[in-house]
Amino acid sequence: MTKGYARFLTAFFCLFLGGILVWHLLLPDRERSETENRTLARRPELTWSALADGSFTRAVEDYFADQFPLRDGWTGVKARAELLLGKREFNGVYLCGDTLIARVNPPLDGLDEKNLAHTARLAERTEIPVYLGLIPSAAETWREKLPAGAESWDQAAFIARGWELEGVKPVDFLTALGARAGEDIFYRTDHHWTTLGAYYGYAALMEALGREPLPRMTFMRMTASEEFQGTLYSQSGIHWLAPDSMEVWVWDVFTVTSWRDGTPKEAGLYDDDYLGKKDKYSFFLGGNQPLCVIRNEEGTGRLLLIRDSYADSLAPFLARHFEEVHLMDLRYYRGSAAAYAEENGMDGIVVLQSVPNFITDRNLGLLGQ
Amino acid sequence: MIFSSLTFLFAYLPLTLAVYFLMPLRARNAVLLAVSLIFYGWGEPVYISIMVLSTLIDYTHGMLVERFRCRDKLARWFVGQSVAFNLLLLGFFKYWDFLAASLSALPEVNLPRLGAPLPIGISFFTFQTMSYTIDVYRRDAPVQRSLISFGAYVTMFPQLIAGPIVQYKTVAAELAGRVNTAEDFAPGARRFTLGLAKKVLLANSIGALWDAQLAARAAGTLSAAGGWLGILAFGFQIYFDFSGYSDMAIGLGRIFGFRFNENFDHPYLSASVTEFWRRWHMSLTGWFREYLYIPLGGSHCGTAKTLRNILVVWLCTGLWHGASWNFLLWGLYFAAWLALEKFVLRQALKKTPGWVKRLYTLAVVFTGWGIFAMEDLAVCGGYFFICFGGGQLWSAADGYTLRSYGLTFLILILASTALGQSLWRKLPERAEQILTPALMGLGLALCTAYLVDGSYNPFLYFRF
Repeated sequence: MTKGYARFLTAFFCLFLGGILVWHLLLPDRERSETENRTLARRPELTWSALADGSFTRAVEDYFADQFPLRDGWTGVKARAELLLGKREFNGVYLCGDTLIARVNPPLDGLDEKNLAHTARLAERTEIPVYLGLIPSAAETWREKLPAGAESWDQAAFIARGWELEGVKPVDFLTALGARAGEDIFYRTDHHWTTLGAYYGYAALMEALGREPLPRMTFMRMTASEEFQGTLYSQSGIHWLAPDSMEVWVWDVFTVTSWRDGTPKEAGLYDDDYLGKKDKYSFFLGGNQPLCVIRNEEGTGRLLLIRDSYADSLAPFLARHFEEVHLMDLRYYRGSAAAYAEENGMDGIVVLQSVPNFITDRNLGLLGQ
Repeated sequence: MIFSSLTFLFAYLPLTLAVYFLMPLRARNAVLLAVSLIFYGWGEPVYISIMVLSTLIDYTHGMLVERFRCRDKLARWFVGQSVAFNLLLLGFFKYWDFLAASLSALPEVNLPRLGAPLPIGISFFTFQTMSYTIDVYRRDAPVQRSLISFGAYVTMFPQLIAGPIVQYKTVAAELAGRVNTAEDFAPGARRFTLGLAKKVLLANSIGALWDAQLAARAAGTLSAAGGWLGILAFGFQIYFDFSGYSDMAIGLGRIFGFRFNENFDHPYLSASVTEFWRRWHMSLTGWFREYLYIPLGGSHCGTAKTLRNILVVWLCTGLWHGASWNFLLWGLYFAAWLALEKFVLRQALKKTPGWVKRLYTLAVVFTGWGIFAMEDLAVCGGYFFICFGGGQLWSAADGYTLRSYGLTFLILILASTALGQSLWRKLPERAEQILTPALMGLGLALCTAYLVDGSYNPFLYFRF
């Protein structure tokens, strides 16, 4: 190695490391990452106590990684490199042609059985009919799309176990969605069902409730966004798939009351603000909240949904029929579901959750209280 | 701090290099000491005190041994004190909880556990400072009179947390006076990048497969083929993780003007278990040979004593890797194979074709990794039961695993051989000059991408 060449290599190495450091320092800090849908770590403050207990250095590491230049771009580079090596799984998401499907891992700590037991206890505790509507995720409904031999926990067997619960009436989303597996019932870049999928879910739920669903033709399908890049887009680092389009079928004006912080506020079936953000699915009912009530004076009957986010795109369909649809989220609403249902004169309680949520939720103990 | 982190690569390292090279030569040991203490204290700031205490005690003992050299008994006493101190330090932090838990299994015994995190690198720096005092006594190394230079040696961040175990005598001259040139920096930077790529791109990737197979065992879906794929994955993970770390250490050392000894020499090409241990983690096996095996009499005092010595050294080697029964078992396992090769298989191996010997060695070593990797002996037993046909032999998931990791395995196998090195040497100089920066740039960029994605970056060697 000649002296000149050694100097060149030395300079190359130092410029690569030092250049990124300078870039990092000059780049203004971002408040949040839209791709990751979270607030990013800010420059930590140096205090003696933080230094002594090690929390300062950890905060520096978080800050440095979160504010790294071209953060999203690097993730894409990794995904492409992995694809080249023959990988089909990217941070727990399978790439299946033009579709991303999240793998479902086996439940921890027996949460699957525990949450079924909580549901059964709810049915014991109240005279109001209790329905269990477990929604299979794309990994089950679209199992044939997964790479051959790729693992995903058996949701169908679990749903079938749910049907055997005493005192609980089943809602068969498994068959309803399975029969329509050839259609676009889930987003390609997000883990939720599409409005079409939610429509099939609504039809199955109405059938279980003993009521007649409206046929598809009665709804006017409109595109709300064609730029939807969902959670799986972020999680996988696969950024080159075409975005999803998001539809709205129900256009009626209902009274929507939203309890986000303990006080009721007027809201709508849809929150247009979210269409301009990354988290477009929260357009439906404005996303996660402890409690939300949709009123339709022409409807009959009152229904309580123990919700997760899948329920948000299904609820507008139900509102066409029911006088009141209540959506309660036990991750944020810390009270007894049975007591609430009795106080508000509900005619039915539906535990309406996707299987991946149901088997990881640690708050469903509130169901039995 | 660990080398394969964004903070190290793009903040700590460039800043350290800038400060180090801007300072005059005589101040560089002091700079090295200061930045190394920051490096060490990054994860657990309170443990800097252990590092400082250990440095002070060993420095003093080196001086005392030198001072009382003419009174041999006293000098020996100080060597003994230093060894005892280091072993107590190691024993307290690394082995107390294991010992207490094991003894508490007896009736009427209930010892308190410490539950404190292990000070990083403690297994490495206690061994280094122990050998320093011994070497001073044996006149194998000169005494270090400058506390700053000695501190710089003990805390030197390139080798601090994952070796190689650098004996004082190998760097004594460079500590006293070294020149820093681009001709050292450039190959050092190249070696560092190679190590980083081995760790981040190869070891971490294949490590994900091992974790997946462990999870499959827990879920009851593991097959025999999947079990062996998992063990292969772990064997490659630990090799590329550890040797990658050694490459980074050796490269960084060279950047700062030090020549550390090599630590790995293509161990998976070995034609016997004995040879494997001459090519794997050479600084550790070398240390045990020099300061334990040979002082015990080595293999020159008859069969019974040789057997005893092998057993002692390998139980210690096993325990050095971790405070748990599986590591003892792992040490015992290798003691048995080494004794077998020494006394029984030697003649037979001579007549065996090379490729059979290599396969035999790989089979022994990788099975050993299975024992090494699973601390819970019940889990380990269950895993091997499946591997040896106690369940299904093949599952659909294995096909998926092979499609997902086939190319990675191919790269790992080729990277374990000397093929790359010999091809590289055959390159015309011009091609090498173009390829070196191109590959370094690609390697650094890919590592950055993987680290930013960063969901999977556990570090295997914090335990040691």
